[in-house]
Amino acid sequence: MWSKLGIALALVSAQTAFAAGISGDVLRAAYERIDPAVCLVEFSLEITNAATGQQSKQNRNALGLVVTEDGLVMTHGHMAVENSTPFNIKVTLGKGDDEQRYDAELLPKPDDVNIAFLQIKDDKPLKLPYVRFSSGDSLQLGDSVGMFGLGPDTLDHATMIQERLIGAVLDKPRRTYALDDAVRFAFVGGPVVDSRGRAVGVVGFDLSTAEGGEVYTRSGNPLVYQASLFQKYIDKPPVEKEDDGAGDAWLGVFTQPLTPDFARYWNLDRDGGLIVSTVVPGSPAEAAGLQSGDIIITFDGTPIRAKLDRDVMGFTKLVRDTGAGKPVEVRVLRDGQPITVTVDLGLRPPSEQDAAEYEDTQLGITIRELTTDLRIRLNLSEDVQGVIVRRIESGSVAQVGKMIPGAIIMALNDTPIASIEDYKNAVAKLTEQRPSEITVFARVGPATGFFRLQPRWPAP
Amino acid sequence: MIPRIAVGAALCAGVLLVSNGCATIGGSEKAVLRAKDTVFPALVHIRPVKEIYTSGKRQEVLAIGSGFIISPDGYVVTNEHVAGESKFVQCVLSDKEEVEAEVVGVDTFTDVAVLKLEVDHRLPFVEFGNSDDVEAGNTVIAMGSPHGLARSVSLGIVSVTDRYLEDIGPMTSPFNSWIQTDAAINPGNSGGPLIDLHGRVIGVNARVLRGAENVGFAIPSNIVKDVVDDIIKHGRVQRSWIGADLQEMLARTDDPARHGVIVAGLDPISPAAKAGIRPGDVITAVNGKPLHARFEEDLPAVRRAIAALPIGQEATFTLLRGEEEQQVTLVTEERGALRGDEVAFDEWGFTASELTPELVREAQLPSRMGVFVSGQQVGGIAANANLGGGDIILRVDDTPIQNLAQFKEVYDGLVASKKELVLLFVKRGALTRYVMIKQTPGAPAPAEGAEAVNEGEPAHVE
Repeated sequence: MWSKLGIALALVSAQTAFAAGISGDVLRAAYERIDPAVCLVEFSLEITNAATGQQSKQNRNALGLVVTEDGLVMTHGHMAVENSTPFNIKVTLGKGDDEQRYDAELLPKPDDVNIAFLQIKDDKPLKLPYVRFSSGDSLQLGDSVGMFGLGPDTLDHATMIQERLIGAVLDKPRRTYALDDAVRFAFVGGPVVDSRGRAVGVVGFDLSTAEGGEVYTRSGNPLVYQASLFQKYIDKPPVEKEDDGAGDAWLGVFTQPLTPDFARYWNLDRDGGLIVSTVVPGSPAEAAGLQSGDIIITFDGTPIRAKLDRDVMGFTKLVRDTGAGKPVEVRVLRDGQPITVTVDLGLRPPSEQDAAEYEDTQLGITIRELTTDLRIRLNLSEDVQGVIVRRIESGSVAQVGKMIPGAIIMALNDTPIASIEDYKNAVAKLTEQRPSEITVFARVGPATGFFRLQPRWPAP
Repeated sequence: MIPRIAVGAALCAGVLLVSNGCATIGGSEKAVLRAKDTVFPALVHIRPVKEIYTSGKRQEVLAIGSGFIISPDGYVVTNEHVAGESKFVQCVLSDKEEVEAEVVGVDTFTDVAVLKLEVDHRLPFVEFGNSDDVEAGNTVIAMGSPHGLARSVSLGIVSVTDRYLEDIGPMTSPFNSWIQTDAAINPGNSGGPLIDLHGRVIGVNARVLRGAENVGFAIPSNIVKDVVDDIIKHGRVQRSWIGADLQEMLARTDDPARHGVIVAGLDPISPAAKAGIRPGDVITAVNGKPLHARFEEDLPAVRRAIAALPIGQEATFTLLRGEEEQQVTLVTEERGALRGDEVAFDEWGFTASELTPELVREAQLPSRMGVFVSGQQVGGIAANANLGGGDIILRVDDTPIQNLAQFKEVYDGLVASKKELVLLFVKRGALTRYVMIKQTPGAPAPAEGAEAVNEGEPAHVE
């Protein structure tokens, strides 16, 4: 019985593929239109090792796609990931004698799709061939799609076509088209055409937030990013957010969805909600008296009905977009009884990668402010004040003194250090006094201890 | 890193031909033979069956190590990492007689264990030498079962007499200094004797430097002797504890005139913290007896001096805070175990251990209440609820958890009652969260032999 079913299934899928295949004429016509807009993006990347703070440089290249006449180029989000800075970006369009090479600049990366945008810089107004997209929302399960990517450099990076099926269509957390098979890396970011040859999207890869990707999945499976996800950025390219003081808001709680099991356990006649699992010390939530165990049921008038882990992300976005500095009513269940708490949403504190850094060439260390997310990751209580050592220069005073990256400097010669400002002031004073030894009080993991540094002061 | 050198169950198949540049010590072959002959009859090959907790369940694992007989009635000395956590220990004597042994007691802090052979006849035994008399350059002989090869003898010299190995993680041996030797020591030599040319035991082989050539370490016999005496008399070693981390004076000054030992940090829940001792204080004496550690090599002796204070009694520390001398009196506590007791909770498919002071400090808990989840079985009820290794259970339903014994009572009651939903409140790192255990009737048994990889669901930050 099983074998019969297996055969039947195989036949069905073979027929589907055959029926849905895209004709050569259609692909050739699409190629004629798209190939001139496909470009090679070359760039250098300065990568910072998150653990050690060591920096290295690499040359990379990627596929780019010109999407406006005046030189807006779309590429995949790998160019704009945490702990790495791209520079020296060059975009090459055309082949052979028609080859044109331009400088380009990376625009701020959209945070809702794993795509990056570049703007070509040129002295005179540009009139480049570009690709126009159809909406892409018409794709269906089992449809064949054509993908355009770059060949290897031995084939002069020629534009190439591959064909794939739409292997799955998901409706949540947003409409997602998954491809049926792996694609080569040089196809990621490349345009995707439907069976009529219309450009309907690009090949995408979801990444976790830590890798600079989208927030909710890390599928490792190639997707089609339908044009409706990114058309808004083509119409209005992303710009650096102005710091108007009304940045992202934060509440300062970690939450879990109220699954039916939790609701049943607490005898709550409720469909979804968010259980406060941790209240961050020093946060607006703590100031407003929210407690772990509270169940959030409305936020600023919006009902909260989270039941799945991924629903939590919607709440994060809701809080973020509410705007800082605004008093917000949060309705929670505490011991089963509804109460209303007013929270003054604060400004989301800077995250680790945005933390201020300071390089002290005298002692040979680079330090960073302790940010809220770092305090949580390292489980540092509020009474731990200091700055964290990010890098130690080879052969420096600090290295000779056995200091290590990750140590949290809490005092220099009995002067408490709680900020980069404190550190700079302390070192400035020491530079005047020129002591032969400096004692550093630091924390490494849960332990504390002393490092004795022997500075090499420059000749006066 | 310096791994311990017990061997797992599988004997290393590859035998390397190594020409051990054997020193011909001028006409001393006779001396080597004589020393070897003195100790050889007392050499023991040890095969304990260890009961370890891994992947959320209790498992039995065969280990291989070495040891030596120290009395005619059959007391045997070996390493804790060889014979610890085992109930059944098979020993093979030098004449190849197989004898079962009972574990008399172990000391994790120094890595020493004492066994008692179950025999009714007198046994050949060896004597301890005085490890304080050992000098770098002395000829020494290591004996034992490298890679399980019993009755192996290797020759070398003492390289360093007072090596300090940082006391971190599972390697913690804060009270040991080490005799470093170039006599070949390999995994399986653990617990075997390092002897001098008089045929006296001056050390117990216990560590090798991985990736190095002939850099092995033995616990000095004078430390071993005290521990063995305590174990034979009391079944264990009792040490007092004040909860202060110590650092050598050199960490702050290279002035040889400054005496004492630096307080580097404090356990927040400890007698020292309660008495107001602070990081940066210099302890110069306890109960009028001077303490001094100029170099890190001096730290183990200072730690032993504090551990030797009477437990639960007042001790007066003389401190220098800045230039000001102070007297601080505190009541010592007994030092807790390095490894907490562990229990397998098979119905839910996880293992948990008692919170040690180290775990409490690492997790920044306000008290020592709770139990530590040490592992979970794939497919088990706990794993399905995303309860994972590293979580600390603080509350079960409305019951605050105090310790492992009380948790086991609560757990047994819940399993017997078949209550469908059980709510745990747990902590991992800085974050707390709720875990819903579903004791579904007829839940599938956890997958056999599967390795737990799930480390629990990451929490979401709003």
